[in-house]
Order: sequence, then C-alpha cells, then structure tokens
Amino acid sequence: MTDSNEVGVLRVDWPACMGRGVCAEVLPEIITLDEWGYPVIAGGGAVSAELRDLAREAVTSCPHAALKLLPPRR
Amino acid sequence: MVGMSHIGAIPSADQVEIRAGARLLASAAYPGSGSELATHRRTWPDPRIGGPSGRLSADVLVEQARAIGLAGRGGAGFPFATKLAAAASSARLLRRPVVVVNAAEGEPASAKDFALALTAPHLVLDGAAVAAYALRCTEIHIVMPRERPAVRDAFELAVAQRREAGERLSWQLTETGPGFVAGQARAVIEALSGRPGLPVTAWQPEAMSGLKGRPTLLSNAETWAQVGALAGLGVDGYRQLGTPREPGTTLLSLSASDDRVEVVEVAYGTPWADVLGGDARRPALVGGYHGTWAAAGALSSLAVSRADMRDAGLTLGAGVVVVPAPDECPVAVTAAVTAYLAGESAGRCGPCFNGLPALAAEVGALARCNTGASYSRIAELAGIVTGRGACAHPDGTARLVRSMVTVFDDEVAAHLGGVCRVAESSSRPPSTAGARDD
Repeated sequence: MTDSNEVGVLRVDWPACMGRGVCAEVLPEIITLDEWGYPVIAGGGAVSAELRDLAREAVTSCPHAALKLLPPRR
Repeated sequence: MVGMSHIGAIPSADQVEIRAGARLLASAAYPGSGSELATHRRTWPDPRIGGPSGRLSADVLVEQARAIGLAGRGGAGFPFATKLAAAASSARLLRRPVVVVNAAEGEPASAKDFALALTAPHLVLDGAAVAAYALRCTEIHIVMPRERPAVRDAFELAVAQRREAGERLSWQLTETGPGFVAGQARAVIEALSGRPGLPVTAWQPEAMSGLKGRPTLLSNAETWAQVGALAGLGVDGYRQLGTPREPGTTLLSLSASDDRVEVVEVAYGTPWADVLGGDARRPALVGGYHGTWAAAGALSSLAVSRADMRDAGLTLGAGVVVVPAPDECPVAVTAAVTAYLAGESAGRCGPCFNGLPALAAEVGALARCNTGASYSRIAELAGIVTGRGACAHPDGTARLVRSMVTVFDDEVAAHLGGVCRVAESSSRPPSTAGARDD
C-alpha cells in the first residue's frame, strides 16, 4: 500500500509517547487522538509532499521526541 | 468458571511431561543422556568439526536453512535464513555479530524450551555454536526465564561441560523476567544491555542493529536446536522427517484442563487427530495466548503444518495448544486469558496500558453474560490496540479476542442474550456449586 506520492513515514515511539497530543494539533490531516489521548496515525503514516513541512513540525514539537519521520517505503 | 486457575500460571517442573521424540527430544528416552556432553557427542557431531558438510560458512548455512525452510520457533515464524543473511552482511570488523539463544519462555502454556533445556541443552548450544563459527564471532548469550530456575541450572551445567571440553566460545548466561513479554526479542536485548527487560521500539531489525548496535542473531531455543540438528544431519538427513514442503519436526506444548503441560515432538504433516486423539474434535486455542481458536472439529481434518494452518485461518505460533475441558466455556477461557494478558502489559505504551484492561473488562462482562457487554465495543477496542505498541503484545491479545468472536459467534450471541450454554449444560449439583468462582 505504498503511495508514490509518499515522501516519508510517520512512526510513533510508543514507550516514549505520553499522549500530550501536540502532534494531532499540528497535523490533524494525519493524526487524531484515541479515547485516552494517544495518537492514531492514518494511512500507515504516509506523508505526502504537501504535508511534509507540517509533519516535520509535528515531529519537532513533540515534547517527548516520540514521533519520528522515517524515509519513504520503496 | 471452573478450574480456570491454571490460566496464566507457569507450570512447575513436575507439571511438565516430556515425551521422547524422533529427533530433538530423542534423548528424553534416556534421562540425563542429553545433558551429558560425552553422551550427546555420540549422536551429534562437534560444531568445530561439523556434520556431513563439515564446518559451515555463513553462506552455506543460509543456503541449507533455506533448503529446509527453517522458520523461527518463537512464535512469529520468521525465516531463519533471512535473519542469518542479514546478520552476516551487517557484520564488519568493528561490528562483530552476537548470537543470542532466547530460552526466556514467558508464555505460561508453553514448556518446549524448558523441555529442551532439560533433555537436550547441548543440541540447542550446538546450533548457536554453528552460527557463531559461521559468523566468525565468539560471543553467545543464553537468556533464561527467572520463573523457571531449572532452565538456568541445566544450561549452567551444559556450558560448564563445554568449557571443560575446550570449546573456546564466550558463553554468557542471563536471567530475565518474570513476565509474558520478557521473552520478546527487544526486551531480551534490553535485559542483556543491563536495562529493564521490557520491549522498546525497534527502528532496525536486531540482525542489523541489536545488542550495543551490533548485528544480533537472536533466535528461540528450539530454532537453535533445529539448527544444531541441520548441521549434524545435513539437508538430506534433516529431510528424512516431515513433508517435502515442510521438512523436519516441531515441538508442541499441549495443555488440557488438569494443570499439566505435555511436550511432544511431531513431524510436520502429522494429523492433529494422531497428536490430540479425541481432543482434536474439541475447540482448541492454537498458537498460545496470542493465538487463534480452532472451532470444534476444525483440527480433526488438519495436519501439523504451518501452511495448512495458515490456510485454515489458524496459526501454529510457538506450538502451544490449549484444549479447554468440556465444562469450560471458550468465551470464559478467552476472558481469563485476556485478563491475564492485560495484567502482563509492560505498561509503557499508552494504547496497550489503557486498551488491554478496557478490552479485558468488556470480554469479562461478555463471559459473565452481562447484557451490557457490546460486540461493537469489543471490535472497536481490538482495533484501537492493534499495531500501536513497541511489541506485538496488544496485537496478539486482539487476535485472540477477534478469533473468539469469529469462531464462537453463536456462543457470543448467546452470552449477549444473557445465556452461557456451556454453563447451562454442565450445571452441577448444589454440593459443588461452591467451586464456581463467578
């Protein structure tokens, strides 16, 4: 299910994530929160070129550095 | 629930019955023989010398493991050849590989690694030694479960014998656990790194970057015993048992409701009816607490085969089969296992820490025929926890619950309507009613 438009993949470091929810505020296009406040990542975390900057911002604004933007899947 | 106290309990040494087998458990027929290096060497060649193909290079071992389709026996069934090839190609002068024998059997219903430690520890260690020689490394770790002290005693003795016999490998023994998730690969590497032995996020496969960033060839104890058998017998010898598509044997841990676990070795292709007898017609939990339910009668037409099981929507996992007693409701068993698994969350990943207790509460309500239980809530929670943790503990728990809902749809519907038909049909005289705990 790889998207040719994909420029990166968002992954959560689950033990590091404390459910602060900043990522969902920065990038609601991809990230919503479950009933306990932990991120739900849509589309397997695929990030398109249009959302790349917001995805980077979501990564850098996580207070626990629990969100990572990995290289695209082939 | 009747007699469900065994759910989640690690069997003590005297609750495990080890049946002698054709290959890995052959020495179980002569107690103590597999634990004695000299006796073991009468059957199995010294890895320094090798079997029919001599001492194996990494390339040849990869080729041979691929030829017999060796799948990891820790539960996930990952191809051993792929792991070994990755470790070999990641090896550099400054990134010397490490070999890890994972005997940290955290699954309560499993006792196969325990059985190997007690009856054939040297075959397990032979496999690890073969890989170390192939990868030109000397560091081998053995990770053992704290809640099964007999495993440590057995490996300590075996390693002492090998050192005395002049084997120049650096065997290092570490205990980990207790707990269900302590045997997870990353948790084991954490424990070896001196940190709490709990799962962490893996950004790269262990074979590329594991212990201290070094290529780490970590496999289950039975996988290593299979490697030892392969090196000792050669590909043709190994193929003498099993089927052309799935050569060799596999270990199974069978538990009925009497708190005992029986460990058997069977050749792939053996009908379940031969393994379980009449129990093959009963509903069974296959693949352990992270496994899937087989409906009544499903196993009687199937063989012990990873491929056949997969085609039938089942998973052999680490070879655990639990057959509930006729008076045990599978929904209630699932609830008891789910509650146990929720309690075994390492508590580090939010969706698992919050989601598994919620899921267990919902399945528990269903088992008690609480009409407030909701089918859609169970499905929702199973979905929420899946794929959202450092390890597959939440995924495995969700798999178990989903399979209960699918396989026992009639029973689930009856429970939602307030009736447990198993409890009704096995309702007992008032004198024993006190034994019921719900």
